[in-house]
Amino acid sequence: MAYCIRCGVKLEEGSKACPLCKTPVQLPPGMEESKQQPLFAQNLPSRGLGGVNKTRKGIIELIISLFVISELTVFLSMWLSGNGSQSFIPLFSIAMAALSLILAFSVKPTYTMQASIQCVLVAVYLFGLDASDFRIFWSLIASPALGVGWLYFVYPFTRRAMQKPKKAAGICLLGSLGYLALINLVVGHSLTWFVPVTLPVVGTLLILLGLFALWFTKRKNKRVPLADVVLATLVVLFGTITSLDFFLSGYQLGVYTLRWSTGLLSTSLVVLLFLVSVSVSRRVRRFFTSHNRHN
Amino acid sequence: MKIRVQNYTPEGFIALDNSALIYPPTEAVYNANTFRVSLDLCYTIKQEILEQALHDVLERCSYAKVSLHAGFFWYYLSPNTKQPLVHPEGSYPSGRFSFKENNGYLFKVLYSEHRIALECFHALTDGSGAMAYLKLLVERYCHYADIADFQFPGGLNYKARPSIQEFSDPFQHLYDKNLPSYPKISKAYHRKGTGSIDDRVKVISASIPTKQIKERAKARGITIGEYLSSTYLYALQQLQQQEVPLQKQRKPIRLSVPMNLRKIFGYETMRNFTLFAVIGIEPALGYYTFEEIAKEVHLQMAVSQDRKRLLSQIRRNVGGERTPLIRFAPNMLKNPLFKLLSDYLGDDQYSGVISNLGQLELPPALEGTIRRADFHLSPGLLNRVALTVIGYLDTIVVNFTSFLNTDTELERLFCTFMVEDGIEVTLSTNRETDR
Repeated sequence: MAYCIRCGVKLEEGSKACPLCKTPVQLPPGMEESKQQPLFAQNLPSRGLGGVNKTRKGIIELIISLFVISELTVFLSMWLSGNGSQSFIPLFSIAMAALSLILAFSVKPTYTMQASIQCVLVAVYLFGLDASDFRIFWSLIASPALGVGWLYFVYPFTRRAMQKPKKAAGICLLGSLGYLALINLVVGHSLTWFVPVTLPVVGTLLILLGLFALWFTKRKNKRVPLADVVLATLVVLFGTITSLDFFLSGYQLGVYTLRWSTGLLSTSLVVLLFLVSVSVSRRVRRFFTSHNRHN
Repeated sequence: MKIRVQNYTPEGFIALDNSALIYPPTEAVYNANTFRVSLDLCYTIKQEILEQALHDVLERCSYAKVSLHAGFFWYYLSPNTKQPLVHPEGSYPSGRFSFKENNGYLFKVLYSEHRIALECFHALTDGSGAMAYLKLLVERYCHYADIADFQFPGGLNYKARPSIQEFSDPFQHLYDKNLPSYPKISKAYHRKGTGSIDDRVKVISASIPTKQIKERAKARGITIGEYLSSTYLYALQQLQQQEVPLQKQRKPIRLSVPMNLRKIFGYETMRNFTLFAVIGIEPALGYYTFEEIAKEVHLQMAVSQDRKRLLSQIRRNVGGERTPLIRFAPNMLKNPLFKLLSDYLGDDQYSGVISNLGQLELPPALEGTIRRADFHLSPGLLNRVALTVIGYLDTIVVNFTSFLNTDTELERLFCTFMVEDGIEVTLSTNRETDR
């Protein structure tokens, strides 16, 4: 029988280390101890069974109890006062609030998980409110808007999006296009302005973005100054707005012309000219840059 | 005019005893509310014989043949007609057990090669009650296995009819509404421990020669239980010193010591009849030497066992149950509130639990047959290490049950103190380091 050299406790036969301080048992060479009967019939499983702990369980049960009580109270009071037919919205609202709280306490407390669940619940809630008169109209625009919001504010933070950012950007763009097409379908019952206006404008945006991305990534030195990024963004923004004016006038008047965006176009051309000159001529760039940073 | 509320008990409804009321609603992961008592024999345990013995136990103690149900106002017990099951032993004791998988019974009989164990949900009985069931089970097992015919000293008599007292709730008899309620105490220090936790119960079992520990305790004028409580407090004080460097910020360190009230009040009930002595030190006042702690523990234990104080505690507990607001609130509302308030009213007040079942008295026929006795208690989320003590023959077994995966600092300080005090400590564990 071995003793732990650090704690001084006696260890049961066959022990490999002291359970208190993890000091390994050092037996004289050639000596082996027979293994004693283990403390319990089986070894510890690799992990526990898990479950909801007492406090969390208590909070969830409390929410359910309050939900049942408030549902009964609201329904009975509305029914007895003769407004039973209008009780759907308050009852549905209480149910959704309870569900939202229960899920907030029972699922993994991460931003992406919680925000995703709450987005789905709010979307369902809006559909439910809209469907209370057995017709669905405004929720077809409002609920998918949450989906688009999710694409921009939650999806980029998911592990999958972080691993493949280009694919994630594509999904965000497709989602936005789909949402715009849906608005057009819901309001105009066909793709009236989506094809002649939205698609060409988005096309312009993509072309401009692609050109600048190509230009900046193919530069000799890979460093892109922040000023260049800001100026390029201005050019992309002004160019896209100009294209919107151009295609919108074509859709509304039947004539493709610039009505109010001439100033934006000329500004973007000046900025573009400046960008090209500073990148082509080192002398021009130095003229506009602090000398201290080039020693 | 005074209105009296008539108690109405429907058929098949057995009310939980006062102390058991808190256990069903608070049962959850990290709060199993279970404990285990076990005896290791020299013989190989046979399942068929054990089943036969269990049948006898339930025939004698029909009040244990119950299942738990949730009523509208309270949880309650009702007679269980299903067949009791015998399970092979698993990898750790005092975990949560599913009543459904156990045919609704609140206790579980387990066996391994040489061991007969009884795992019990606290709503049925306390440690002493469970030990009485286990003794009867072993007695009947030995009878059927032709090992020996005997009766444990002070145990249940199989041939005698169960007395009414065995399934009475003494708390209700001892309740006196004219007594003042017991005061609530402040929050105690809680050690979080380092590293991860999970709901597997990790055990470190320390076997100590009774003679040696008795000598050390006697030299200080205290009992063995008080010596172990003092060691526990001393270890916790050392840990608190490391965690909280500023003396005045140190919270009191207290231990909850369950007291068997059967001897104090002379009841022979098989239900819960335990109250907790809360003993401790105030490290904010300064560092306590072991001798000072031992003195404090000795005095506080004597005060805690005072009949009048115990009656006042009973007044508080039963009074709470009888408050109309609690009594007539539906279970649906009471359950979550019990879950949320149980820490505030219980675990918050102490830094650890030390449950001592005392010396197991064996009949002469069994002295050479018993290899080991054990007692395990499920730990909690607030107090992540629980300590239990049981004595048999010339050995005392101290079991540390813990949810902490790697942190064994408390156990180390406890055991090394005893080693330094000249006591031989032999360890065994179900932790991975050892096997």
